[in-house]
Amino acid sequence: MTTSPLRVPHRIVIVGFGMVGVRLADELARRDTGGALDVTVLGAEPYEPYNRVLLSDVVAGRTDVAAIAMPLPDDARTTVRREVAAVAVDRVARVVLADDGTRHPYDHLVLATGSAARVPAIPGLDDAATGPASGVRMPAGVHALRTLDDAREIVAATVNTPRAVVVGGGVLGVEAAHGLASRGLDVTLVHPGPAPMERQLAPEAGAVLTHGLEATGVTVRTGARPSEVLVVGGRAVGVRLDGDVREPGEVLGAGLVVLACGTVPETALARAAGLPVERGVVVGPDLACPTDPRVYAVGDCAQPPEGSRGLVAEGWDQARRLAEHLVSLAAAPLPAAPPEQRVPRREHLRLPGDGGPSMAVRLGTLLSSRAPSARGVDARGTDVVKVKAGDLSVVSMGVAGAGAGTAPGQRAVRLADPAAGRFVEAVVADGVLVGATCVGDARVAADLVAAYTRRTPAPVDPAFLLLTPVMPSAAPATSPEQMPDDATVCRCNGVTKHDIAECVADGAATADDVAEKTRATTGCGSCREAVCGLVDWLDRSRRSDDTSAVEVAAPR
Amino acid sequence: MTAASGVRTHCSYCALQCGMSLAPSGPGIPGPGGRAALPVAVAPRDFPTNRGGLCQKGWTSATVLRAGDRLTTPLVRGDDGELAPSSWDEALDLVAARVAAIQAEDGAGGVAVFGGGGLTNEKAYALGKFARTVLRTPFIDYNGRFCMASAAAAGNRAFGVDRGMPFPVTDLDGAQAIVLLGSNVAETMPPFVQHLAGARAAGGLVVVDPRRSATARLTDDGPDGEAGLHVQPVPGTDLVVLLALLHVVLAEGLADREYLDARTSGVDDVARSVAAWWPERAETVCGVPAAELRRVARLLADASPSRGGRGAYLLTGRGVEQSTQGTATVTAAINLALALGLVGREGSGYGCLTGQGNGQGGREHGQKSDQLPGYRKIDDPAARAHVAGVWGVDPDSLPGPGLPAVALLRSLATPGGPRALLVHGSNVLVSAPDADRVRERLEALDLLVVCDVVPSETALLADVVLPVTQWAEESGTMTNLEGRVIRRRKATEAPGEARSELWILAELARRLAPAGLPADAFPTDPAVVFDELALASAGGPADYSGLSHARLDADEDAAGPGLYWPCPATPPELSDPARGIRRAEPDNSHPGTPRMFLDAFATPDGRARMVAVDHAGPSDDVRADAPLYLVTGRVLQHYQSGAQTHRVPELEALVPESYVELHPLLGTRVGVPDGAAARLTTARGTAVATARWTDAVRPDTVFMPFHWSGAGSVNRLTTDAVDPVSSMPEFKVCAVSVEPFAPADLSDPARGSHRAGSDASLDQEVPA
Ligand SMILES: Cc1cc2nc3c(=O)[nH]c(=O)nc-3n(C[C@H](O)[C@H](O)[C@H](O)COP(=O)(O)OP(=O)(O)OC[C@H]3O[C@@H](n4cnc5c(N)ncnc54)[C@H](O)[C@@H]3O)c2cc1C
Ligand code: SF4
Repeated sequence: MTTSPLRVPHRIVIVGFGMVGVRLADELARRDTGGALDVTVLGAEPYEPYNRVLLSDVVAGRTDVAAIAMPLPDDARTTVRREVAAVAVDRVARVVLADDGTRHPYDHLVLATGSAARVPAIPGLDDAATGPASGVRMPAGVHALRTLDDAREIVAATVNTPRAVVVGGGVLGVEAAHGLASRGLDVTLVHPGPAPMERQLAPEAGAVLTHGLEATGVTVRTGARPSEVLVVGGRAVGVRLDGDVREPGEVLGAGLVVLACGTVPETALARAAGLPVERGVVVGPDLACPTDPRVYAVGDCAQPPEGSRGLVAEGWDQARRLAEHLVSLAAAPLPAAPPEQRVPRREHLRLPGDGGPSMAVRLGTLLSSRAPSARGVDARGTDVVKVKAGDLSVVSMGVAGAGAGTAPGQRAVRLADPAAGRFVEAVVADGVLVGATCVGDARVAADLVAAYTRRTPAPVDPAFLLLTPVMPSAAPATSPEQMPDDATVCRCNGVTKHDIAECVADGAATADDVAEKTRATTGCGSCREAVCGLVDWLDRSRRSDDTSAVEVAAPR
Repeated sequence: MTAASGVRTHCSYCALQCGMSLAPSGPGIPGPGGRAALPVAVAPRDFPTNRGGLCQKGWTSATVLRAGDRLTTPLVRGDDGELAPSSWDEALDLVAARVAAIQAEDGAGGVAVFGGGGLTNEKAYALGKFARTVLRTPFIDYNGRFCMASAAAAGNRAFGVDRGMPFPVTDLDGAQAIVLLGSNVAETMPPFVQHLAGARAAGGLVVVDPRRSATARLTDDGPDGEAGLHVQPVPGTDLVVLLALLHVVLAEGLADREYLDARTSGVDDVARSVAAWWPERAETVCGVPAAELRRVARLLADASPSRGGRGAYLLTGRGVEQSTQGTATVTAAINLALALGLVGREGSGYGCLTGQGNGQGGREHGQKSDQLPGYRKIDDPAARAHVAGVWGVDPDSLPGPGLPAVALLRSLATPGGPRALLVHGSNVLVSAPDADRVRERLEALDLLVVCDVVPSETALLADVVLPVTQWAEESGTMTNLEGRVIRRRKATEAPGEARSELWILAELARRLAPAGLPADAFPTDPAVVFDELALASAGGPADYSGLSHARLDADEDAAGPGLYWPCPATPPELSDPARGIRRAEPDNSHPGTPRMFLDAFATPDGRARMVAVDHAGPSDDVRADAPLYLVTGRVLQHYQSGAQTHRVPELEALVPESYVELHPLLGTRVGVPDGAAARLTTARGTAVATARWTDAVRPDTVFMPFHWSGAGSVNRLTTDAVDPVSSMPEFKVCAVSVEPFAPADLSDPARGSHRAGSDASLDQEVPA
């Protein structure tokens, strides 16, 4: 990388110090070995970077809060302003204004503002209800689960109340409900749809999940929605239900209400700056805003052409791609070659000038070799949804959910085994797995993900994907009789049952005799018992075959 | 079955260095199967590493002494292009003249040396000295780069020193949990399996391997049911498994905080870096269920001393080290061991399972491109001064660092690269990655000299082949996988005119006679060479200065506990190179160091360094035209390139040809039935092997052993991409496509050359 020492560093301002903003700062620092960049990150949250994904584990008590701290960006190269929110962007002057009055000029601006929890418009929650939770004052005992503060408060609340209601049965709701139940709370999951996680799971799979949740102590109320949060003295005491209720006006008593009603991309800043915003900040395959090539958006706040699922793997992949792009812009005054061609062949996964192994966390190399193509970005591999719920295994990827695998050229096979708490579906097209759902079988789930993300050849009969593929094997030989003649008894010395039988026929009467002749048992010694047993049995059968042999000395 | 009589020595093959005794066989007693009489009879000997066990290789090792094609005279390639017998003088004069001519034209760097991890300490030392003082070339490296470099780099970085196992192997016996990462000991060093018995009985053996190897199978048949568990990650993702294990240890508060505070540095960065590897994410990359990762982490923690366990070990092997992220993977294993407080505590620890017979000693005495004896750095002025002092040469005459093995081989006969190569104890043509390219480079050389006991594939390409002695015919020392220095003793004479490398190097030194080198610089008595080696190592990380052949013999005679380096002779300040070596009286009272790091690590601050590492994946990952993973490894019956074991009929009969293991689901998908010939293609080349269906491999992975040359040579397929820190090549994983091999392909020259091996595999199918 050749940068003129005289060149003014390229100023990059990142708004948002969440999972993707941090990653982007890190990726930039690692690539920009020549100091061509001047990176500033503004983060509204007061904390050091932390792993938001693990907040469910914090709620479940599965992880130490201290263990979710993420790597700090290299402070020599990156200016981080914590607890400073961007309030406006002047795109003409190319300056970001912050709530502490500071101004941050940029050459390129990256929005990584993430998303906020959606708060449903129901009585009991603030009047200003529908919209992101940020800025909404909620009664005590009612929490979204988006920030470290949320998680801490939920954990604190579990001490004071034995009963909790989780509103919303998406991935987050399922994780929260399972986590709270594993803390010993009496948890009800209230979900308006017919089964939890219907965005990812077909109804049958959802039913299996429902049973799985119930087995861990969660009461699942599908077809029901909260019509009101009951508040006494500023504190939540319960939730009134609507829809599929046991009695009109049914109330679930609970001192803790967790809202998991989906997320809303944090787009206010972009909208106010006049950038195109739909559900999220609209960006092209290059992650740039179509109307202002100096502004990019990544992570949960972005709406790229392939859509956004709100998964961190997508955001990290975007951060990596954008870092490559920004570094190449800063490095090359002339139009840069596409980044993937600039990287040396043998080291394409490591960064130039970085003596050690890459620090950039990637979801396998598949992603790193993926470049935006004319059709946009192939999201395969970043769209695996894996629920974090301890031993309750739920995973969905690619083509999945209701009606999956019905498109032309696709073939879907499924195994529904509700009694055993298992549902597996695999969708194959062009000889590779293009989507799958798996509930209740962790081993198969792991195999499906590996096959899906890597596009390895699917079996001729896709039904084999539904089970752990093992070869039909003969039942293990329980007695020497059943052991095939050519079975290896001593691996270290390659001695078969046949060899030992010959030895015994020649007069060997003990394992030591056999060892002397064949070296069986003289390697690791693990076969000693087997050889002893075999010798005994062979010796006995030799004697019973030849009744007169009793008196006759064994031939030598 | 311990033989009381006979010469006490150790096996000729692997780093377990099983004790054996060699009794002279009576003359005229024919060998097995009516073959030539063997000069010695092998009997196992009770030694702590093998406890009286030997594997089939060890049992049959004497056969190689009288291999039918054993080299007994020097061979020189004549004008007719054929290798023909010559006298030693003729051969050595020729080598010396050609070396001198090339160096006169190209300078010292025109000649390169390639050593081996099977050479004795004395030979390895003499070879390094020869390269630096006679040839004065920076270009020396060795095949240990293919097996030990990543563990060595990670160990040096973390602990300040690299000794494969910093504890006696018998310490493993008492452990409650042992995690084997990428190591198939049940095939590669079977007697070692005895040391796993304790962990198996406790249900604590964890084997991480993409293949259900013989070792992985040890996890399911413990005396009381389950002996542990087999973790079967997608090839190339072992690092992710380790990162996730550390994540769980930290997340669940299972770490040994006191130990981390007192004995390590860098834990904060490492903890932050693994925050990104929660088990569910790890599962999506490595294919190991999150619950299983948690189970392993807890099993290890339960066994850890800080939590009241009986001890836990993490052991790595080539499976995880031969990777472009090998150093990172070993580092992650070390980080995990440190977080659990295992390292430098009796009864727990981290170790690397060295593979080659003297893979440990071979990396300490100066065969590595960047090292001088005693594991010193060649670019360290103090180290140069010390070693030059011992050698009696000007420090400035010593060359600087050269190139690591793969780069060295790639540079041969390229503009500016060496034009001559001397090979000692290595069959690079079969054992180096991207074999077709290696052949090209070797063929392009002006001079290739190979010292070997048999006409290996590499020797057959040479201009001059020099016959050398082998294990039972020579004396010296080896350093086994535990860092224990052991004696190799002579039991018989070498056939014909085979000579020790020590003699060959002395003769070449005499002929090349560089100015400023003492005339007696190359003694041929191994005991004398050892004494010099000991002196040269004094004060270095691998300090042998308190050892001698006599002391080693005395310790063994007295049934002593064995001697492990570092074993310094004098207080370190006396061997301070700045003040010259002023050894007072030889002081041989240091007991050696069976267990390292009990008090401190060999880092400047005495703390183990934890280094954050991350996963990038294999350099050659699966893609549409190569959608499967190829992993490589060994089988019990063969050793390395097979130069020795292919010459042992008992072994050859059991595994006569190369094969490829594939899952039945894959076999049906790609149309390769069990027993049929399969063609494997990678970005480098093509190989043909007989298919063996087995569910021991994942359906996305095929396995091939690497002991063969020709059409079945898996190293024609492997990538020569290397680890950025250790320069170790990525043997263990690359992307491959598999298809049926049709006999018609044989006559199609465009399909590449697969002569011998493919014929053989086809013959198999013809009913006899
Ligand atoms: C409990 C939980 C569990 C999850 N589990 C998973 C999972 O298992 N797998 C998965 O893939 N994903 C999961 N997710 C989703 C994942 O966390 C998000 O995809 C990821 O955090 C997105 O990263 P981001 O940087 O885009 O947004 P965020 O991490 O939300 O970060 C945005 C940051 O920007 C700050 N910000 C916003 N506006 C401004 C402003 N104007 N000025 C300055 N700063 C601002 C915010 O305060 C925040 O710190 C989970 C999410 C939650 C909440
Ligand atoms: S090859 Fe290794 S395990 Fe086998 S006998 Fe020799 S030293 Fe022992």
